Amino acid sequence: MSPKVRLRQRMRVVLHMVMALVLMILLAQLWLFTVTLDVMETRGASAEIAIAALCCSFIGCAVVWSLIRLCLRNCS
Amino acid sequence: MSKDFPISTEEDGFVTRREFTKFLGLTSLAFFAGTLIATGRKLWKRVMAGKAEEVHVAALDEIGVSEYKLFRYPTENDPCILLRLDVEKFVAFNQRCTHLSCPVLFNAAARQLECPCHKGFFSADDGRVIAGPPKRSLEALTVSLRDGRVWVKHESES
Repeated sequence: MSPKVRLRQRMRVVLHMVMALVLMILLAQLWLFTVTLDVMETRGASAEIAIAALCCSFIGCAVVWSLIRLCLRNCS
Repeated sequence: MSKDFPISTEEDGFVTRREFTKFLGLTSLAFFAGTLIATGRKLWKRVMAGKAEEVHVAALDEIGVSEYKLFRYPTENDPCILLRLDVEKFVAFNQRCTHLSCPVLFNAAARQLECPCHKGFFSADDGRVIAGPPKRSLEALTVSLRDGRVWVKHESES
């Protein structure tokens, strides 16, 4: 196996790991969205929970875009 | 010879990595936007609840024990129900079922509020769910008795 092919295979593994990470972040964002909806509909629930979920969702979104821009494009 | 459809089915169904990552990024943005809107709405509700004024909805002798009165608060689009459970005990709730917003009805014998659409049952004492598909309690209003009248106000948002 030539070094070029080996490198290509390794990059493919990295690509899959990054993709799995992105999907996990998306699932977490979905969960945060449902939590926020629940807080919105429940009068007794604290608005701080919604704000915390919003911050986490923003961080998740930033990480996803960073991974896409920095990693996935360079791996192609 | 020219083809009528120059793109083959295989090529048409092919999704490039760029397209797929773009889809993932936009999905992430959509989740963030949804969370942002829901948080904004929660904060808006909190502000509006703080501004809502107390209103009188009935005279003390207007409703007998185990009777109810329908009213709208704080806007004409918000149906509410005032219940007299005891001589001195009045409670008020938003009349919308927390399942799919059907109006709940008072069953004095069972001391429950019932949703006729999907058989949701709520306690008339505090609006908590007793049975059925609803997951959340009815939205309660703060009731006070003053000057021979029944006054209601939104409970403050957390």
